[in-house]
Amino acid sequence: MDETLAEFFRRTILKIPMTEMMTVLKTWNFLSENQLQTVNFRQRKESIVQDLVLLCEENRASLNDAALLDIIYTQFHRHQKIWDVFQMSKGPGDDIDLFDMEQFKSSFKKILQRALKNVTVSFRDAEENSVWIRIAWGTQYKKPNQYKPAYVVYYSQTPYAFTSSSQLKSNLPLLGQALTVASKHHQIVKMDLRSRYLDSLKAIVFKQYNQSFETHNSTTSLQERSLGLDINMDSRIIHENKVEKERVQKVTQEIFGDYPQPRLEFAQYKLETKFKSDLNGGILAEREEPLRCLVKFSSPHLLEALKSLAPADGEVISSFLEGPSVITRSSKVGKGIEESRRTCEY
Amino acid sequence: MELANTLKQDGESRGGVLAQLERLETQVSKFHKKLEEPQDAQALEARIHELERLRDNLRAEVKQRQAGVKASTANVEPDQTLEISEQEILERKQENVKAILQAYRFTGISGKLTSRGVCVCISTAFEGNLLDSYFVDLVMEKPLWIHHHSVPVFIPLEEISAKYLQTNTQRFLFVLCEYLNAYSGRKYQADRLQNDFAAFLVGPLQRNSLCNLLSFTYKVKLKGQSFPFCARLLYKDLTTTLPTDVTVTSQGMEALPSTWEEQRADHENLFFTKPLHQVFTSFARKGEKLDISLLS
Repeated sequence: MDETLAEFFRRTILKIPMTEMMTVLKTWNFLSENQLQTVNFRQRKESIVQDLVLLCEENRASLNDAALLDIIYTQFHRHQKIWDVFQMSKGPGDDIDLFDMEQFKSSFKKILQRALKNVTVSFRDAEENSVWIRIAWGTQYKKPNQYKPAYVVYYSQTPYAFTSSSQLKSNLPLLGQALTVASKHHQIVKMDLRSRYLDSLKAIVFKQYNQSFETHNSTTSLQERSLGLDINMDSRIIHENKVEKERVQKVTQEIFGDYPQPRLEFAQYKLETKFKSDLNGGILAEREEPLRCLVKFSSPHLLEALKSLAPADGEVISSFLEGPSVITRSSKVGKGIEESRRTCEY
Repeated sequence: MELANTLKQDGESRGGVLAQLERLETQVSKFHKKLEEPQDAQALEARIHELERLRDNLRAEVKQRQAGVKASTANVEPDQTLEISEQEILERKQENVKAILQAYRFTGISGKLTSRGVCVCISTAFEGNLLDSYFVDLVMEKPLWIHHHSVPVFIPLEEISAKYLQTNTQRFLFVLCEYLNAYSGRKYQADRLQNDFAAFLVGPLQRNSLCNLLSFTYKVKLKGQSFPFCARLLYKDLTTTLPTDVTVTSQGMEALPSTWEEQRADHENLFFTKPLHQVFTSFARKGEKLDISLLS
């Protein structure tokens, strides 16, 4: 086996924590049960890895096999990467999407290989008719760098693709083009959504959050749930804004539901708003043009943070989840965002 | 001097409040002192008797009142029993209606009124099997809009709602129902093929999210020989559960002997006309028939 390939195998296997080693190797399914049994897993990790690399050499493992192992490792450790979301669109009146996975893969690979002589493209099918793509970038003169690959996760017949932030940003347009053409779309646009949590991004763009619906078959109605007000409180204490609190609870419940929220870490909005001033004759209030702002949110768990902000405007929260670029009319939203931003920072 | 004057002028009110507070304070300290006083046994005993007397009086009063209430209810009894039975009837009616509302989901489209509109439930089915349910929460406002839904992302919900939601809501629901039922049906067929007839498949079943392109290789036995065929099914009409395009080819692309060519054409026809899993069920039955004929 090639020196560099052996080294790549060694480094990839070394990354895998010992607790996951058997699971990952079994998922990879390249080394047989018998072969795995010949390895003494009680040695030092370096020795185990050496033995495994020797077994790979025995089986004449190729670069593709190594890439596959790398994909599996990344699938197990997807939280270690930061994922971006791209949205594709079709032209009007396009035909029904008869997505053929094999055609997609070959088309995608061809486009990249035609543009860049040196590129390694590997695929692994995943659940729900999706595919994980691993791309190791090279240039006209340099071999692909196997240690800085980009990953793309694409669910068939959807307009969204998830990519791990590649350090080599210059290849992004090419990647976008390959995705668009191979999946028979026309345009691709980067969305303002980024997170470590792939499942959360998927939940947001596929609108799979808040899946509680009112039906006649449900055993608990929305009204029966406690409103979070302490029933054991002294009856002499009256909640002055009880009505308002109940309304806020209801709106929060309707928008967020009972389920855990998708895990967003960062979101960015364009905001056009007019300044609303209580004082007369403020300079900003007299402006004819709306103010154009860029609002950035960041938090370890953005939506849970917003959810716990029950006094915030329901509008802020729902517009959050419905679209990334929201141009709003009311300055009420501006105030809500202001409150949210302050709270998120703490 | 001025300070003293102000005190005097507002003396009434200020002095009043402060004096009040002082009085309350002395009351409290007196009360505490009372509690702390070394127990005068006799005084305590007297207190106990007092309280017992009070309790007995209250008990007697309660008994009196209860008796009074009973007497009055005794007169009212016949009416009350009538009321109870009416209540029972109403409760039974309510339960009945609730059960009917719950059973509506078996019709395919059912709904429940919400505070701002209606939550529609589309329950899909195929060949008498109840499959997944999908929800669409509609808000009844001037432009009707969808609050949230559980329709999968690859179903063209935006297109359908752009066409029909505002102008003809009934049509919107009907078309969406068609798409979802067809998708469920195709998915059911593909799942059945993958799970129940894995023995016939050579390699994995290739499918996509909408289950509108299926590609697989399968083996069928004929006269002791088994022959692999490659099938490619396209469902260009997303509202149907049967394919619009079928191609069955032999794996090697060599010229087939006539019996196998017949089989190939036959299979193509079968895939066009029958649901996927039924085709394979008939393959399985044919195989059994052949085995039986070989034995005899």
